[in-house]
Amino acid sequence: MKLLNNMDKKTFLALGVLLVVLSIIPHFSKLSTITLISRIFILAVYGMSYDILRGYTGFINLGHALFFGSGAYIAGIFFTNFGNNLVVFGMAVIVTVVFCSLAAYIMGKIVLRGGGVIAAAMITLALGEIVRNIAERWRSVTMGADGLPFKIPDVFRDRIGFYYYALIFLIIMTVVLRQFILSPTGRVLMAIRENEQRAEFLGYETSKYKLIGLQVAGIASGLAGIMFGILNRFANTDLLSVQQTLNALLITLVGGTGTLYGAIVGSAFVNAVQNYLLNLRSVHPIFERWLLFFGAMYVIVVLFMPEGFVGLWNKYMKERRTKKNTKAIEKGL
Amino acid sequence: MNPLLKAEDLVSYIGLYTILQGVSVEIHQGEAVALLGRNGAGKTTFLRTIMGLVNTRSGSIKLDGESIVGKPTYEIAKMGIGYVPEDYGVFDELTIEENLKIAMWKEDKPTLEKRDYVLDLFPDLKVAYKRLAKTLSGGQRQMLSISRALVNENKIILIDEPSKGLAPVVIERLALALKEISKSTTILLVEQNFALACAVAERYYMIDEGKTVDEGTIKELIEDTELQRKHLGVI
Repeated sequence: MKLLNNMDKKTFLALGVLLVVLSIIPHFSKLSTITLISRIFILAVYGMSYDILRGYTGFINLGHALFFGSGAYIAGIFFTNFGNNLVVFGMAVIVTVVFCSLAAYIMGKIVLRGGGVIAAAMITLALGEIVRNIAERWRSVTMGADGLPFKIPDVFRDRIGFYYYALIFLIIMTVVLRQFILSPTGRVLMAIRENEQRAEFLGYETSKYKLIGLQVAGIASGLAGIMFGILNRFANTDLLSVQQTLNALLITLVGGTGTLYGAIVGSAFVNAVQNYLLNLRSVHPIFERWLLFFGAMYVIVVLFMPEGFVGLWNKYMKERRTKKNTKAIEKGL
Repeated sequence: MNPLLKAEDLVSYIGLYTILQGVSVEIHQGEAVALLGRNGAGKTTFLRTIMGLVNTRSGSIKLDGESIVGKPTYEIAKMGIGYVPEDYGVFDELTIEENLKIAMWKEDKPTLEKRDYVLDLFPDLKVAYKRLAKTLSGGQRQMLSISRALVNENKIILIDEPSKGLAPVVIERLALALKEISKSTTILLVEQNFALACAVAERYYMIDEGKTVDEGTIKELIEDTELQRKHLGVI
């Protein structure tokens, strides 16, 4: 209820319309479009999980894919070994939550000892690569570099049905992560992002809060990984790679770092562009190298639009509100 | 009576440079004490050393008899030392409301009463409650910074040059507010503005080249123009 109370009528109406549009899309779309949008929903959660770290604590984690890939692998390993039903799915979710929470805790304890942002980025990069290497060499469980194909529960087999599950997943995770950001812990994370030392002299043990942020981000990323694994019915070591982490970075950058919802816009934009470029393969083989275009996009966004789409929108709205408030104060005086 | 805050022969350093070379200060419960001295004398470093933001080489700092040297900054803050830094230290991208909420360790009745007290003390903040801190004037930011230190049950508040960069009319209002605050809170005030220090504090310590060189009552200092000229450059 608090969530609804905080929303103005226009936002509520816009969200309602968006929800109706998203609900009817599968009935008028091709299967490939439905799969693409499901992918957008899942990667939006993955992007939001990265935004909790990058956008709200200023922490650069180059090993973030560790959680995402682990989620996909845990789902795959469980479905392969214990059967493809909903009970096993529930077990996979619980194990992913516990694993990601523990992995984030260990990562945090190593990284948050000090040394600055660059050291943290390098250490997380190394930790991510260690896990990727383990997955690659542990062939008996993960099938190594070949990847792990797996069967999924019947309930997830229908693409249209899964589209709705992905949408529900996105809505639930958005609400949960938003509430986390608005909580007292989230406020402290915002303070840390702005100036860690100032947060400390207000009495906050900043490393403890960063660790909480890392765990929440890790769990959200792991859950997104499960959904991604189910969508593809496949997990491979690419999901644990730096490239996968950079995807999250690009999604949050394009959408707007530190905005949370930006990741949804970023995911839609990045995945739609990627899909469009891949479809142009028949026009010219250069479009197979879509990463080249993404590199260029990354540079353009960093140079000319560092706030991202939602960041720019928020900035515009904040300035408008501030002008309005200032006018009201001047009138009052 | 035991002092609330006691620093003895404090030596602290930043990198290769020893900044404080023997500062001794005693502040009792309920006092308002000014730390005076020329630019670069070590006043700000002293406050930062108390907060654990600058490394201590030797000497001691005790709060209520308990040593705080070597403790992390957040623990020192939790022990009851509020800090108002010279650059205000507010969170620019957060509103006044959010800045105050972050400063409040609890949201219980006494804390909410304290918040209401600071909003009554600084009505500007109440008017601009939902505005981002970065849109506030220097005076309003200073008020917000002081308010944050007041919303908790702090034993002492360290205030670093609150008049810096403010217009004379704002300094006058600030002096009145600080005087009011000093009735219920122990204050250690670092200040270059002699008039403001005199308006708020009862006692002073003079620091020069990282050492305590003099102490006494503000009344004595006001009467001793030679000492003012020598240490503060007041003509």
